[in-house]
Amino acid sequence: MIERIDAEKCIGCGQCVRLCPLDALRLNEEGKAYIAYPEDCMTCFICERACPSGALYVHPFKEQLPSVFPDSDA
Amino acid sequence: MNYDAEVITTDVLIIGGGSAGLWAAKRFSEAAPERSALIVDKGPKDWGGLMTMAGGDFDAVLPGEDVDAWVQDLVYYFDGLCNQSDMEEILRRSGDRLRDYQKFGCEFFTKADGTLQSVPQRGLDHVRLYPAKLKGRGGELMVKNLVKQLKDQKVGRLGRIQITELLRHGERIAGAVGFDTLSGKFYVFHAQAVILATGMGGWKTSYGKNTPTGEGVALGYGAGARLMHFEFGRVWNMPRYFGWEGQTTLMPLGGRFINALGESFMDKYSPILGANTDPHYTTIAMAMEIRAGRGPIYFDLSRINPADTVLLRPQNGWQKLNYDKLSALGMDLFRDNTEWVPQMTVSYGGIDADIYGRTGVPGLFAAGTACATEPGVYAGGFALMTTSVTGHLAGEGAAAFLQGADSLPSTGQEAEIARLRTEAFKPLGQQGLKPKEVVTCIQRAMFPYDVSILKTENALLHALREIQRIRTEDVPRMAAADPHYLMKLREADAMAFVSELYLRASLARQETRAGHYREDFPQRKGEPRWLLWSKGAEGKPVATWKTVPLESYKHPVTRYYQDNFRFA
Repeated sequence: MIERIDAEKCIGCGQCVRLCPLDALRLNEEGKAYIAYPEDCMTCFICERACPSGALYVHPFKEQLPSVFPDSDA
Repeated sequence: MNYDAEVITTDVLIIGGGSAGLWAAKRFSEAAPERSALIVDKGPKDWGGLMTMAGGDFDAVLPGEDVDAWVQDLVYYFDGLCNQSDMEEILRRSGDRLRDYQKFGCEFFTKADGTLQSVPQRGLDHVRLYPAKLKGRGGELMVKNLVKQLKDQKVGRLGRIQITELLRHGERIAGAVGFDTLSGKFYVFHAQAVILATGMGGWKTSYGKNTPTGEGVALGYGAGARLMHFEFGRVWNMPRYFGWEGQTTLMPLGGRFINALGESFMDKYSPILGANTDPHYTTIAMAMEIRAGRGPIYFDLSRINPADTVLLRPQNGWQKLNYDKLSALGMDLFRDNTEWVPQMTVSYGGIDADIYGRTGVPGLFAAGTACATEPGVYAGGFALMTTSVTGHLAGEGAAAFLQGADSLPSTGQEAEIARLRTEAFKPLGQQGLKPKEVVTCIQRAMFPYDVSILKTENALLHALREIQRIRTEDVPRMAAADPHYLMKLREADAMAFVSELYLRASLARQETRAGHYREDFPQRKGEPRWLLWSKGAEGKPVATWKTVPLESYKHPVTRYYQDNFRFA
């Protein structure tokens, strides 16, 4: 899931905000991207690939989901 | 906030801009160039839906190949539940869509002699896919190339629009209303015909499966369309911690799942097919192994011929970025055994439309995975093919419909539109449950293995009680802080609807067939029958069984794919 956006590197182009399929990202009042709805990230990497300044980092691990089997968190 | 309204008039409104919606728009605007087409999508403009995450592998019957042989494969693979006449028509057009993609600039993997390289699927004799040339962004390039065509054809496209209701004019569907998920602006679309290309329902299980939640299927049902295949869910073997695209090309080339003892357990459940089989059957076996204490399950690629890894190792796009990051964490799929789990992902339930997307509701068409196509088993590359062909055909169907239809006025519905607008925004700014909380409750009810994989009556009834509680108690109590959450609220509502139909259908089918495994009814029973759903009194779903009309089909059912397996 998306882990961080480096405000110093963000140039405020809004590409990540425009392209996020889940609408998880928005621009703040300073015009910088921030993670507005972190729980909606689906780990698709579209934002990180679109960022021209390398400001975003998406961890490859996805959201943990409720169990399929008892006595495990799988 | 002041929620202004925007009123748009178009000849055809296409809800959903994935593969089916893009193809429907393309064909409609070719067949009726004087008419207007508009695509709306709840995601970003031109993002391409699930296709953008797909590998780009495509099933096709190439010129000179025998369509009947493919249909016979699918009659066998679907355990008799194949709509043979529709499937023949779909397959007959599959080669044309592959050629179209090539013409638009999409490249497929070729052999040294220049012919297309294919990968056979699921141990079937004829069904095969054609892999994208470079592994990583095949689906993304299909989207880009198709959108370029639509720009040339002046098809309108809008993103971030959540449709909430269809509009009617008498018996006919006359458009839809919705809202902008960023600004909250209300939208009214007056249309002469509507194509639902929204995809299927699903349970938000990450990686490309978080957007299809069933709103389109629910809209179709609400308008009077029949639904089918709800007892079938797509249970997929997924890496426990991350996402991965393309196991369908890995299995025929030597990929296999092993249990904690290092055993290639599919050889035990199916000595004939072994590891190279349908994921639905693999996940049944995985669940049985884990339940018996032989988990976790690992994915083993050590037997793959190194020369074949060019087809498999991601070379660009999100898949390469994902692969590189995972490798850095010591999770190189080609070097390390990674843990995989069986996971319910999306529903196969959809609208019962004919080959031209006609739903039985005048002016309402459906295409792609919003329609019911497969009974729970899935050959790699099948969805890119069926969605392109059925989208194309629905575009043609809508164009033909408008040729003979009266033109609808765009006035006279003001009171109804005002009511729908109030309804759409009612949860906004209220105090209540967050949509995500409700989604998690739905997932908790639906994911347990005895509900999603090795189904039993007790577990299904237990889940049904919980889903009905969620629908009556939790869903009406959801609130939205802003238009973003208003969209998520709509998704959670549709997920609950799809879940209830899945459970009712799974309880009703007291046998095991194709993608439906009942541990308490492990054998198939009688003639193949489809299970259809329509809206009864007070909106309650009413089930109807329809015997597959084998007497009017070309091919008798003489063998069953499920007979390759011994689970009980």
